[in-house]
Amino acid sequence: MDMLELSHIGVQFGDKQVLKDISITFQPGEIIGFVAPNGTGKSTLMNVIMNYLSPNKGKVILNNKLKYSNKANEVKIHQAVSMMPDQSDLYNHISGKNHLKIYQAMWNSNPKLIEDTIVKLGMASYVKKKTGTYSLGMRQRLCFAMQIVSDTQVMLMDEVMNGLDPTHVELISQILLQKKAEGKTIIIASHLLENLEQYADRIFFMKNGDLKLVDELAPEFTDKKVTTVRVSNFSQELFEVFKKQFPGLHVQTLPSGITLIDVSEQDTATLGDITQYLIAQQLTDFSFGKLTLNDLYSMEYQQR
Amino acid sequence: MWAYFKWEFRQFFTNKKNIAVYVILLFLALYFAFKVAPIYEPIEKVDVAEMEARFTTRDDFIKSVGNKTNVHPAVGYALAIFPQWNELDKARIEAIANKDYLKYVEATAEWYKYSDAIIVNSGQLFYNPLYYTYGNDFGHADGHYGYGYTGSRFTGYAEGNPEFSLELFEERTALQTLQRLLNNYLPIVLFISCIFLSVDIVLKDRRNPSLLKGFPIADWKRLCMKGLIAFIGSVMSFIPLCVGFVIIGLQNGFGDFSLPVPIYSYIEKTFTNMSMGTFILKNALFISVWILFFIAIILLLSLIVKAEFINLFVSLIVIAAEWLYSNRGMGAFTDIQRYPTSYVQVGQIISGYKNYIYESLHLTYQNGLIIVGSCTLIMMVFTLIVSQSKRFKLIA
Repeated sequence: MDMLELSHIGVQFGDKQVLKDISITFQPGEIIGFVAPNGTGKSTLMNVIMNYLSPNKGKVILNNKLKYSNKANEVKIHQAVSMMPDQSDLYNHISGKNHLKIYQAMWNSNPKLIEDTIVKLGMASYVKKKTGTYSLGMRQRLCFAMQIVSDTQVMLMDEVMNGLDPTHVELISQILLQKKAEGKTIIIASHLLENLEQYADRIFFMKNGDLKLVDELAPEFTDKKVTTVRVSNFSQELFEVFKKQFPGLHVQTLPSGITLIDVSEQDTATLGDITQYLIAQQLTDFSFGKLTLNDLYSMEYQQR
Repeated sequence: MWAYFKWEFRQFFTNKKNIAVYVILLFLALYFAFKVAPIYEPIEKVDVAEMEARFTTRDDFIKSVGNKTNVHPAVGYALAIFPQWNELDKARIEAIANKDYLKYVEATAEWYKYSDAIIVNSGQLFYNPLYYTYGNDFGHADGHYGYGYTGSRFTGYAEGNPEFSLELFEERTALQTLQRLLNNYLPIVLFISCIFLSVDIVLKDRRNPSLLKGFPIADWKRLCMKGLIAFIGSVMSFIPLCVGFVIIGLQNGFGDFSLPVPIYSYIEKTFTNMSMGTFILKNALFISVWILFFIAIILLLSLIVKAEFINLFVSLIVIAAEWLYSNRGMGAFTDIQRYPTSYVQVGQIISGYKNYIYESLHLTYQNGLIIVGSCTLIMMVFTLIVSQSKRFKLIA
């Protein structure tokens, strides 16, 4: 199984440092999520991995040996690493099936994958029509299907869930998990944080040109126990009163308006007290659980 | 690689611009076959009335002054040359009247040789007046070429004994029309078609970058496939033109591949005949090399400059360049034989017409193939070297 390594990748556009000395290794059978607002370097990083963009410094290394040192190596790496095409780049006068055929043929993968993928993604009713007639969601599914039939070891997907309805988001999520089980390395940039949270093994935030592992930003993120009380509509007055009432608790209100109460070190009695207090203040929209990716995203990127 | 070839092949032949090129060629072929070819008026046509007029005028002259002595030297000269001339004209007229075409071609071949021999340096006699058009300072030279060409052609008919017809004598059959067009603008039409078909063969991929960039195939292989498809597509531009060929063939006969095609020799200052088949094959080979030349230019420019307009501009300049510097007789004092652009009109190179008008010994088929072929090879090698460089990306 091929392992993909990024070693000290740095990209600068003019004065702007988009990627700063990024080093990371992606293992087989792993789904990696990249999360960041637009324009923070997710696509740049993917373009560097594909060598569509040459980094100012650093190297992409496949399987401990192959680097983009010459064009012959680029072909070898592209045999193992592919990136999902953008739906706006489809040929409108060509059918979806022909798009699948060229991807299967170019990567010389199993031809049976074409029919299997068509069935799995529910594309049979339209796949023989020209893609110019497709809706955004149909085009997106086709792009995803194209990458699936290429069957490369490493798959990069930029906003794979764009334009998809919840049913298809779930469908694609299941296929991703299946590919992971087959040992594929899947790197996804997505804004669908709750969805990403479901299947990604490691999630990175990109900020100021760096990759930050979510588990390191908030160690409790991966905890299975209750660590956080999430409260909606916590007014500033109540917030101040609450802090006086429970001085030992770490409380913060996110730019999204959600107030988080850290209860990771608290006992059951304290949790009961908090519940009673919130109900007494008629704040009934609250829940116990753990920190979500949305919460972390809000903490990292959103401003009040 | 085969998969990529098939993909590119499909792109090429479903490209709206390329379909438009083939449709335009078909329209041109139909227009030529139905409108232009039927009204073609060769200078050297089978005109019995003109032959009779010439014969009668000269005969009257001989009869009126033939018995006189002490005549002006010009009259004496006329009396010396007219009888044989008239004999040949008479033989042509009688042969046509009797539909004895073999006799007609023999007499006609002799007539043109005799006429050319006495007109070329006479200063008083002239070729067919249609050579002396307004603004043409080289009417006499054109007449000399035309008579030599026609004389050689009819000699070839007499020797080859093909199926005679008036269409054959006036070069109206389909193969002769093709030969005439190869000597004229057909190569340029084919080159312009090739340029328009190929101009975006590389740069079109910029419209679908994310779909194509990651293909696991080397850039040089992509370029080879694209070049091969552009070549096949350009050669296939003959197909719509063939429609015109068939229509002309049905109207005037097809001719045959053993028909003589006069080739001018600059050294011997005479014509020899080449078979139609050989002439067309030589043209096909030379045109193919030129098509490869234009494809090589387009591939190289697409890699370096990445602008379709530049591809178009540079390629069309190569076609038009000859008109920028050409000057009749210039071959005697310039080295035009070194410029590939001097060989664009391939039919005129093969037929020796370029040698005649440029007065150049070196504008030959062999030199043309070597120069254009070498330029093509150099550009291809350079393109492959550039495509191997990490700095150049095929799809930006």
